[in-house]
Amino acid sequence: MSGVEDYYALLGVPRNATQEQIRRAFREAALRLHPDKNLRPGETELFLDANRAYEVLNDPTRRAAYDRELLEAEAELRSSSVFTCAIQHSRKALLQLDEPQVHYLLLDVTPAPGFEAARPPINLCIVVDRSTSMRGQRLDQVRSAAQAILEGLQEGDKASIVAFSDRAEVVVSPDQAKDRAVSRARLSLLQAGGGTVIGQGLETGLAELHASFSHDGVNHLLLLTDGRTYGDETACLDMADLAIKDGITISGVGIGADWNDRFLDDLTSRTGGAVAFLDTPKAVTALLQRTFEALSRVFANRVQLEGAFAQEVDLRSAFRLLPDPTPMADALPITLGHLPRDGQIRLLLELVVHPIGQISELVLANLTVCGDILGVGLERQKLPFEIRCPVSRHPDPEPPPQDIVATLNLVALYRMQEKARHEAELGHSSQAARRLENLATHLLASGERDLAKAALNEAQRLVHTRHLSTEGEKRLKYGTRALLLPSKSSAP
Amino acid sequence: MIECPACKHQEFVGSLFCGECGTRLVRLSGSPTVQVPRNRIDQEASVTKPGTLDVPELEPGAVLGLWVVTTGAVLSLVGRDSYTLGRVIPTEAIIPDIDLSSFRANDHGVSRIHAEIRVDVDGVRVVDLDSANGTLVNGKRLNPQDPARIRQGDIIQLGSLSLQLISRFRG
Repeated sequence: MSGVEDYYALLGVPRNATQEQIRRAFREAALRLHPDKNLRPGETELFLDANRAYEVLNDPTRRAAYDRELLEAEAELRSSSVFTCAIQHSRKALLQLDEPQVHYLLLDVTPAPGFEAARPPINLCIVVDRSTSMRGQRLDQVRSAAQAILEGLQEGDKASIVAFSDRAEVVVSPDQAKDRAVSRARLSLLQAGGGTVIGQGLETGLAELHASFSHDGVNHLLLLTDGRTYGDETACLDMADLAIKDGITISGVGIGADWNDRFLDDLTSRTGGAVAFLDTPKAVTALLQRTFEALSRVFANRVQLEGAFAQEVDLRSAFRLLPDPTPMADALPITLGHLPRDGQIRLLLELVVHPIGQISELVLANLTVCGDILGVGLERQKLPFEIRCPVSRHPDPEPPPQDIVATLNLVALYRMQEKARHEAELGHSSQAARRLENLATHLLASGERDLAKAALNEAQRLVHTRHLSTEGEKRLKYGTRALLLPSKSSAP
Repeated sequence: MIECPACKHQEFVGSLFCGECGTRLVRLSGSPTVQVPRNRIDQEASVTKPGTLDVPELEPGAVLGLWVVTTGAVLSLVGRDSYTLGRVIPTEAIIPDIDLSSFRANDHGVSRIHAEIRVDVDGVRVVDLDSANGTLVNGKRLNPQDPARIRQGDIIQLGSLSLQLISRFRG
């Protein structure tokens, strides 16, 4: 940030941290990152950064001077940032309470006005599961969907198709993708057979993306699968962590009932990507088109929310609502993924504010939105901002903003489904069934008949078999997530 | 902490929805409860007297019922030990156990979650759940969240809507 690093974020302490807290944070970081101890590449650099931060913050005189410098640098960054961030609070004021209270924030990150951006070149690799279970309609649909994407490539775009079962091979290389006849012929060679080893597919797909890496474009891997991978989950997750460091994002499509939704959610959300669920392969063409469309509208990649919350404040949960509704990690930094040119990233933060004394205002957090702007070579662009909220002795009589209420209403439905699934897994099937019936009532009340029916079916199944169906749990999970899409929630 | 009126789950102050049952915990400006003038509520209270009405029989199996004074309909309370009274709005996910919207509850100033009837071993109680226009028993206004004992023939008035308790409980 124009020469001034955020030492507080580096140590992961709030700006109002006591000297003791700073010392403790440094000790913990030093133990973890010391060159004699650390495990991963890059951690020695982090150790040196932490050292530098501690040297300044541990000395009250230097810390005060640094604080002034930091504020000035941040003000300057804000005025010239390529991002804007609008913040809505659930209440105008916090309460002076001797018990914890909940406070919600709705953050809208958008490109700063006046920042013209062109369509970025797209470097896409579609990684297709060709295990035995994909045979027939599934693979046929995927084949024609992939062909349609290749035919829609524009000048400067690159695409490749990788297929995997127990091993992986490049079916269509970026060069072959440019020739319609060749790519069609190559795709027709794609036959089902074998198991599902996602790690193989990822490795080959990522290698293709690296080989044709676009420095001013979007680099994206789309994984289509209908099965579970066994044993190589950790390797896959590590690959995803490395991919996003290089600016490659991963999204997933799960077909049918038998894929591992939690694993795919974890894999993709590490890169800021999302997962879609298809109960029928027929929808795969439309879904791939939508994904490609979205990639052509990316303004910034690797968008992250960094910084620290005040010591009185805990982040209880984070949920990205736009562009793809997905629950996020509940600790900073949060990887938000792509920011569209003509849209926004909308994030809901649920905070727990611990008892606060007789103060008139609380700084809830010092956060920074950070991301790479595509096409102009601007990396790690930042928008630092402070979130404050007045503290009052009397409750705010005004109702919370409609945006927050409408959003929370739908997030509550998603959470009920999660809870029911958790209860079912613990063997509390009657409790889970009651919860699903309750969910169905709420869904009916919001006009979601099909989803309500699915919830009731699963409730009945729980009573009879004590288990949820693998398809039903995915339908409810991705169905309640999809309620948060603007096209859905604006419906009556 | 605040308590969810529907399921009694405890949530932190400032929560907007119950994490247990998904019920909204705040009032919204979107569809506020109609404010009923005090004199209309008082007038209603003076017109309907407890215990004097010719009350129909309860359906077999039901121990408790509510007789809607204006229409003569009987609502049986079966199968639970507490019943929330209120009115359903099609666009909202708040469902009271007993929906009074078909008795012009909105015009009568009944809140979405207005009051609750609790059945206990030692009798029946009614609690006002911080409703906009309040709850009266036999013309006497209840304090919000303060349970009041009710008996056969008592008039429970939600806003200006009167319901009479039909009970097989003795005493």
